[in-house]
Amino acid sequence: MNDRFGLGWRTELAAGILSNLDHIDVVEVIADDYFDSASRLRALKMLAAQVPVVLHGISLGLPSTAGIDRRRLDKMARLVEAVLPECWSEHLAFVRAGDIEIGHLAAPPRATSTIDATAVNIEAARAVVGSPPLVENIATLIDPPASDHDEPTWLSGTVAASGAGLLLDLHNLWANSVNFGLDAREFLARLPAASVHAVHLSGGRWISGADGVSRRILDDHLHDPPDPIFDLLSALSSRCPNPLTVIIERDGSYPPMGHLLAQLDRARRAVSAGREVMRLQ
Amino acid sequence: MNTPALEKFLAQIYVDAQARTRFLANPREEAARAGLSADQCRALESIDRIGLEMAARSFAKKRSAK
Repeated sequence: MNDRFGLGWRTELAAGILSNLDHIDVVEVIADDYFDSASRLRALKMLAAQVPVVLHGISLGLPSTAGIDRRRLDKMARLVEAVLPECWSEHLAFVRAGDIEIGHLAAPPRATSTIDATAVNIEAARAVVGSPPLVENIATLIDPPASDHDEPTWLSGTVAASGAGLLLDLHNLWANSVNFGLDAREFLARLPAASVHAVHLSGGRWISGADGVSRRILDDHLHDPPDPIFDLLSALSSRCPNPLTVIIERDGSYPPMGHLLAQLDRARRAVSAGREVMRLQ
Repeated sequence: MNTPALEKFLAQIYVDAQARTRFLANPREEAARAGLSADQCRALESIDRIGLEMAARSFAKKRSAK
């Protein structure tokens, strides 16, 4: 199966990525960084001529019951038309309400209303952009209020209602499992593996609450993916019938490129082990 | 149960420390004052307080980095 492995494109990693394209199958680019700059867009088109590119959005707010911002959607459509990425993706995150920008990705209330709203918004995105996004599960430090579904149920329901494919972030899945008392492997087993087309791997760290006692994992993208993430990747690969695009995300505390390439090789081995299990089943 | 009004209320307590303090002192009253339904007010009364503080801190850090 033609699984592919790559890195999130960051300025700090650019030279290392470009000099190691024989080890990197694909790069994932943050779409929003290219919405309003002609010079950046030219650079992105040059990059896309050298290596397969996928686009990753961070600001549409797909689960909002208030709908999504048409201007941002139009910008995404123009970028997709200009770059012709293999696919584009967006988070299942609530990012604003009216004129209040949260500034980051917040977990929506996990309820039937947000499943329905997400499906409507994904259809709107498909109509404007020309293809539906892959949708990504997010990490959360707060158990989303006003929820009446657990996360595996909400994610599965969203995928079923929208028909969208999943960009499954395994660190987000694992961090939420640890933070809120779920079994990560059981969580993974409850997701529709046939809907998964892409995977994110990243790392995080423990943070403490104001009470000085409570601890939760913050998905900060500043650390290596921990061991359980690779175990989950093998487990997913043993069930998922689709070729997977696996991206390692790193947003700071950048290690030498050789270190990131070694993590990509570890991801390759994890997927290969899972594929072997699938072959023997 | 989710509505644009609930989303706006959540966004407000995620980004505004004073609104969050008022809410945590009187969750049901503050939610009702924002026009949320009885079900929504009830749900917010049992909010994950530790998580709210952690998430708000994380969001603030992200906003200040932009």
